[in-house]
Amino acid sequence: MRVLTDPARRTGADLAAWLAQGGGEGLGRALADPAGIVPLLEQAGLRGLGGAGFPTHRKWAAVAAQPGPERWVLCNGNEDEPGTFKDRFLLAETPHQVIEGALIAALAVGASRLVLYVNPREAEAVATCRAALAAWQAHPLVAAVAAATGQALALRVVESSGLYIGGEESGAVASVEGGFPFPRLKPPFPAEQGVHGAPTLVNNVETLAHVPHILRHGAGWYRGLGLGEAVGTKLYSLSGDVLRPGLHELPMGTSLRELVFAHGGGMLAERPFKAVFTGGPSNTLLTAADLDVALDFDSLRARGSRLGTGAMIVVGEGTSILRKTAEYVSFFANNSCGQCPPCKIGTHQVARILERLDTGAGRPGDLAALANLSHMLPGSGRCGLVDGAATVLASSLATFRAEYEAALPRE
Amino acid sequence: MTGAPEHGIPEPGAPEPGAPEPGASEPGAPEIRGIPLAAALAAWTAAAPAAERACDLPVPELLRRFHPDHRPGGMVTLQAGPSAGAACPAELAVLLLSDSLLDDIDIAGAPIRDADVLVLGGGGAGCVAALTAARAGARVLLATKLRMGDGNTVMAEGGIQAAIGAEDSLQRHFEDTLRAGHFAADRALVAALVGDGPDCIRWLIREGMGFDLGDDRQRMGGTLLRKMPGGATAARLLSYRDFTGLEMMRALREAVLLTPGITVLDRHPALELLTDDRGRCGGAVLQDLGQGRLVLVRAGATLLATGGAGRLHLAGFPTSNHYGATADGLVLAHRAGARLREMDSFQFHPTGIAWPPHLEGALVSEAARAAGARLVNGRGERFVAELAPRDVVAAAMLRELAEGRGVRHDGGTGLFLDTPSLEREQPGILGKRLLTLSHLAHRAGFDPAREPFLVRPTLHYQNGGVVIDPAGRTTLPGLLAAGEVTGGLHGRNRMMGNALLELVAFGRRAGAAAAADARAERPRNLGLNHLAGWRRGLLAAGIGLGRKGPMLFPPYGHVTAEGLLGHAA
Repeated sequence: MRVLTDPARRTGADLAAWLAQGGGEGLGRALADPAGIVPLLEQAGLRGLGGAGFPTHRKWAAVAAQPGPERWVLCNGNEDEPGTFKDRFLLAETPHQVIEGALIAALAVGASRLVLYVNPREAEAVATCRAALAAWQAHPLVAAVAAATGQALALRVVESSGLYIGGEESGAVASVEGGFPFPRLKPPFPAEQGVHGAPTLVNNVETLAHVPHILRHGAGWYRGLGLGEAVGTKLYSLSGDVLRPGLHELPMGTSLRELVFAHGGGMLAERPFKAVFTGGPSNTLLTAADLDVALDFDSLRARGSRLGTGAMIVVGEGTSILRKTAEYVSFFANNSCGQCPPCKIGTHQVARILERLDTGAGRPGDLAALANLSHMLPGSGRCGLVDGAATVLASSLATFRAEYEAALPRE
Repeated sequence: MTGAPEHGIPEPGAPEPGAPEPGASEPGAPEIRGIPLAAALAAWTAAAPAAERACDLPVPELLRRFHPDHRPGGMVTLQAGPSAGAACPAELAVLLLSDSLLDDIDIAGAPIRDADVLVLGGGGAGCVAALTAARAGARVLLATKLRMGDGNTVMAEGGIQAAIGAEDSLQRHFEDTLRAGHFAADRALVAALVGDGPDCIRWLIREGMGFDLGDDRQRMGGTLLRKMPGGATAARLLSYRDFTGLEMMRALREAVLLTPGITVLDRHPALELLTDDRGRCGGAVLQDLGQGRLVLVRAGATLLATGGAGRLHLAGFPTSNHYGATADGLVLAHRAGARLREMDSFQFHPTGIAWPPHLEGALVSEAARAAGARLVNGRGERFVAELAPRDVVAAAMLRELAEGRGVRHDGGTGLFLDTPSLEREQPGILGKRLLTLSHLAHRAGFDPAREPFLVRPTLHYQNGGVVIDPAGRTTLPGLLAAGEVTGGLHGRNRMMGNALLELVAFGRRAGAAAAADARAERPRNLGLNHLAGWRRGLLAAGIGLGRKGPMLFPPYGHVTAEGLLGHAA
């Protein structure tokens, strides 16, 4: 069952086409009962699909409960992780379900400002979002939302800096304020003090895209989409050594084996499966022993890993784990904002050692140094960047130590 | 063999003890049609100088029916890759659609070397490009599969074209080149080639290369001797005896060895190009044959000068090419994403040795025909204007052979290249100007002043190749190319003497562009990033990953297409 990627929903910026095939209905139901929105999301069990998996209704309720006249809704479309390519699809192909979800959020929390925060490297997504938002601006439904909250609603597209760190929620807030996207210490969370100190609801594009469908079809329908305990559908960004990489919308809780071998067409050139880098790629690697794990937030957490953004970078025999880890850690090193010295220096140091090993210039003490760094670094930054780098390093070092040892120069 | 004294060719008029020859009558062997050698020699002696028989077929018809490019079933369509849909010989398609010899994991821990410009190939184009880039301030690494200079350049005998004569002009050179290539060439490239011609000669002279002088003086100074190349409208072929390429390579090799800033890696074939995560080429994986390990080279610009594909023995032809001409550069560039053009067009040189068998395919220089040597069939007739473009001469020769007017000898067939008449008309020419030819005859065991050569067309040159622009850049960012590996300059047939000019002109252009590109951008996140997509493409096209390439080293000996493909597997 495809919800977000249903071909009928790929209307681009054309608002009339979106409304013609059932769009606006969810917003209409929300307008009929604004107080019922948050309880409905709670029943549906919608969680943050940008990686954290935090229950959406709690965030919405927290923002709605804040005092003060001004509240913001920030739709986070900064997506920049290696191997993740879901938000750019939603923003470029089906922006209206995202905007309608954001309007429902604005209604639920009583926001006066709504920002689509889009990565400017996706030029198509930016242009489509601007056109789509301009089409909504004049629509009576937006006036109805403003009437229901009792204040005017300003809609705006903000181009992010394009930096990875700008996707972190406090970084996104700093970016919308006009500054460099430095992440901030939490608490206070953006729900309490966000853009210019006003309570701000920051949600991922994919999370908001589900909202109009839940309003329209009900919580029971949404719960029924998932497998087992999991609810809804998930966009999995599948890449790496599979035959058919791409964006796959599947029931939340689909097993890794089914994703790779049924939907991904199996391993490229029928090589043995070796591992999967999930999410950021900043989580513990999944190996052949985890092929039957259900890909949802709780099942993966029980295995010591995390779903993250739903990116699955598959690695087969023949592809070097060391090379991949070096690539990802150097991504983190290049994207560290430099505020926190352990992150700024630590990720760079890890990347340097990995690059050295990969290019045949490794030294005998390097593996011990890597192990040491992977213990020292976690938790030393304001945001999770350094934790991600340390996790992927520790995991690949523990699981594929033989590859690291083979790369050391022989005497 | 029958009736052969120790040098293998009977005296004219010697008794012919009963045709057919052994090879022809063996059951199962294909019938070899032709006139027995002794009878042919008798006809040649009787007819000398040979009478000319006018060609009764129009040129397009002749090419269509007899040129190997048009052989039925010889071409297949490429099913995957950046040039999918293009036609290409079956033997080459197998390699172009092969899987890599390497996996990502094979290069983990491999030592890495840095360079501004990596030149792959140590023939003429590679050396010229390396010199130009190094003089522009780049650190150059020149890697070659065999040894520097061990390529086809040293075998170029005839000469190098450049419009330097008073009656000649760049326009005429341009038009001659386009016409010889049947107007399939890229005009911008041809214009660049002919326009650079005179300056290339000046450059070569400054590098220390010698040229024949007009009044045959041996001392320094004088006017360059110009000859008429096949298919041209003016005398513009400059030469050094009949080993022009060898003399050029001597000068280039010395210059490369004496230029600081060029590091030469002999015996380092390239197995794969390195690409970054945006698909830009940023170096190559080399195999250090001496130490048996892989070496990665990270370079701001990579320059392919890997030459042609003669050793694939397309259509079962013998080849004049050297041991390393196995299309490696085409395979690597195509796999990494560079487009190719005119891959269905190859040049067959008219005068390859047909006998003795151990020299089969070796080249008798076109200088012989340029000097006036005639081609004669088994009936003692001239059948083609010897200085027509090579494809026309080769097709006319293949027609004579196919229609049974060739000379049958020792299980093979050929046609006479009439060197005795040439020597009679221009006494001393064999000893003074056509040294390589005389040397070849010596190796074959006969005297070219008394007996004609037995020749037949041989696979000589790859007309098409990697698409380039006038600066030598391919369609793959970071990758440049020069020399025979490139396409577009020669259309569907190359003029004699344009290959040496091409390698100097485009070696200089590509070398300068590579040095500039290397300054502009440094590669990051290098790896075998293009291979996953390549393999997906092969599997999607149903080709599979069974074949590995590039071939690197061809099998020795007489090679059939089937045996070769087995080797490539």
